[in-house]
Amino acid sequence: MERRNFLKFSMAGFARAAIGSSTVMVFAPRAHAATISKTFYITEGIVTQITGEDVYYMGYSSSTTALNIPGESFIVQEGDTVDITIVNTLQTPHSFVIDGQVDSGVIDPGTTKTVSFTATGSGSFMYYDKLNAPYNRLCGLHGGMAIMPSGSSNELYPGSLTFVQQQFWIFNDIDPVWNNAVQNGQTPTTPFIPRYFTLNGLAGRPPGAPGSHDPNIDSIYDPRSALHGHIGDRTLVRVMNAGMCQQAVHTHANHMEWLTSNGEIRPDVWKKDIIPLDANGGQIDVIFPFETPPDAWPPVTTGVFPMHLHTEMSQTAGGGFYMFGSMTDIYYE
Amino acid sequence: MGRNNNDGGGGGGMGSTCYVYPAAPATPGIVTPDVVFNRGIDMQIPLTMDDGRTINMWGFTDGGGGGGMGGGGTFPSAPMRINAGTICHTVLTVQGNMWLHTIHHHGIEPADHADGVGHITWDVDGTYTYQWRPMHPGTYFYHCHTNTVLHAEMGMYGALIVDPPEGPGTLVSPSGGNPAVTYDVEAFWVVDEIDSAWHTLPWDAGTCGDDVGLNTLNPDYFVITGVDGSGNSAMNLAPISATVQVGQKLLARYICAGYHPQHIRFGGLEGTVYISDGRELPTPMVATELKAVSAERYDVIFEPTTPGEYIIECDVLDWITQEVLGTVRTNVIVTA
Repeated sequence: MERRNFLKFSMAGFARAAIGSSTVMVFAPRAHAATISKTFYITEGIVTQITGEDVYYMGYSSSTTALNIPGESFIVQEGDTVDITIVNTLQTPHSFVIDGQVDSGVIDPGTTKTVSFTATGSGSFMYYDKLNAPYNRLCGLHGGMAIMPSGSSNELYPGSLTFVQQQFWIFNDIDPVWNNAVQNGQTPTTPFIPRYFTLNGLAGRPPGAPGSHDPNIDSIYDPRSALHGHIGDRTLVRVMNAGMCQQAVHTHANHMEWLTSNGEIRPDVWKKDIIPLDANGGQIDVIFPFETPPDAWPPVTTGVFPMHLHTEMSQTAGGGFYMFGSMTDIYYE
Repeated sequence: MGRNNNDGGGGGGMGSTCYVYPAAPATPGIVTPDVVFNRGIDMQIPLTMDDGRTINMWGFTDGGGGGGMGGGGTFPSAPMRINAGTICHTVLTVQGNMWLHTIHHHGIEPADHADGVGHITWDVDGTYTYQWRPMHPGTYFYHCHTNTVLHAEMGMYGALIVDPPEGPGTLVSPSGGNPAVTYDVEAFWVVDEIDSAWHTLPWDAGTCGDDVGLNTLNPDYFVITGVDGSGNSAMNLAPISATVQVGQKLLARYICAGYHPQHIRFGGLEGTVYISDGRELPTPMVATELKAVSAERYDVIFEPTTPGEYIIECDVLDWITQEVLGTVRTNVIVTA
C-alpha cells in the first residue's frame, strides 16, 4: 500500500483550522431565494489528544491543507438553490449526503463533484459521508446545516417559538482503534469503545489545564459552542450526534425548551434540564431561553454555568481526565 | 461571581490530584434560611447485594457530621424535601485534607456560586453554604459535582423533592380552573447501575490523566432506590413498592440516576405524567412505559381500578448497543 503523508495537527493547529469564521449566528432573512455555493475539501490528518495519543481523522475542510472537524456549519433559506462542490483529496471514495435533500453518490478518489439541490422545508440537518458507514462519519466527515423558513430570522419552523440567535452543538465520540483501522484501509473488527468525546470537534480543558481558556483548543471557550447572552437572548441550539453513544444533554441555569426530536416537531414544548439525544445522527432542537436563573436567592442576572452531557463517561478523555470531554459553558453577561 | 481563577492544581498541588479548586468562601448575599440541610461526607457505606457481596459506596451524611470513614451515610443519601418558595441552605462540610466534594442540586437553577460545579466555582474544602430558593414543584436530586463521573456513580446522590405550597399530598396546585393534582401514596423509583470495578478507586482517580477506565461503565449490579433490584429485594418494600386501594392515587417519582439509558414499564398499570424535570407538562401524558436518559425525572400518577399485583420493571440499556444490561423490579399492590 502506498504510504500517505498525513497532515499532522497539534490540537491548536487543528482547531484553528476548524473554527473558521462561524460563531454565534444571526440570520438575515431574504425576500427572495438565492443561490448558495460552498466548496468542501475532504482531507485527513492526525490529531494529538490531551493524553498524547495520535488519532486519525477526516474532515469536510475549508482548504486542502485544513482539517475541519466537524465541517463548517452553514445556514440557508427555504427555496434557496444550494450548490456544493466536494473535492475529494483522498485515495478512498467518499460522499456528501443530507437526508431528504441531496445525495452526491460516490465521489471517486482524487475527483471533484458538484451537487445542487433546492433547500426544502425548514429545520436542522446533518451532512455526512454515507459511505463505509458508520466509519467515515465517525472519523469526522460530518457537519451541520440549517434551513430557515422563508423570510424568517427567528423561527425554527413557521410558527415555532422564536429566538434571537442560533448555534450548532455537534457531538461525537471516538474510538481510536476504529479511526486508525480506517486510516489503514481496514474495517474495524473490535467492539466500539469510545475514549474521546467532543463538542464541535473540541473537548473541555478545565482551568489550569494546557490550552484552557484558548478558544481554539478549549470547548468551554470555543465561540461556536459556548452560549453567551444577556437576559432574554433566547438561543436556538441545533444539537446533533455524529457518534455512537446515546447522550443526555444537560444545561444548568435554565431548562431548555424542547422543540424537536430527530426532525419531528414535538406536539408540546416541554421544559427540560435533560433531553435525550439519540446516537448515529440523532438530533434535537432546543431553545436556551436565557431567563433569570429561577431558583437563585438573592436573584442574579449574570454568572457562568455549564452545559454537559450527563452520560458522564462522555466527560472524560482516555479513561480519566474528567472535564476533558463533551462540555461547554453558558455565560450570562 | 463566576469563573474561578485558580490554576486547578494542574499537574500537582495535591499529589496525585489534578484540576480541583479547593475553597470555602463566605456565601454571597446570605440571609436567614427557612430550611437548613446539613451534609457531611461518608466514603465507606457498605451495600450488600443479593449475591452476598458487599460493595463500597460513598455518600452524604445527614446532619453534617461524619469523619468520612463510616460516618453514618446512607445510599442513597438522605432526601431533601421542601415547599416551593422557601429559602434553603445546604451546609456542606468536607474534610478537604482528605478529599474534595460539592453538592449540585440537579435541576435547581440558582446562582453559580450555589450551583456546586467545581471547575466554575470551587470544590468545597471545609464548610460552605449553598443558598437557593426552589420555585418549581417536582422531583429533583442532588449529587456531587467533583470528578462527577466517579462520584455520582459511587452513590453520592439523594432525592430532592420540591412540594407545592400545599405540601406533601399535592403534586400540582390548582390553577386556571384546573383542580389540584393530589395523591394518597408515594413511591420512589430511583434506578441506577453499579460497575463494581469502579468501587475501589480513590476519590481523585483519573484526574491527572491516568487511564482508570472511566470511559466505560460495565455494570454488574442494578439497584432501585438503594436496593439490589435484580431479584425480589425491592418487592413489598415501601417506599420503593407501594400498596394502594382502588380509589386511591399513587404518585411514583421516577429518577434515572444511572448513566446508561433506561426503559421502565408499569406492569399493566396506566399512569399519567404531570411533571418531568420539575416542570409541568403543557398536556399531561398517559403512559404505560417510559424511556429515560441519565438524570431525567418523571412524576407519574396512577389511579388503579383493578385489584392485583403489578410488577414494575426497569431495564438498563447499553448506551451504545441498546442491549439490556440488567433489570430492576418492584411491585405495586392494589387492594379492593
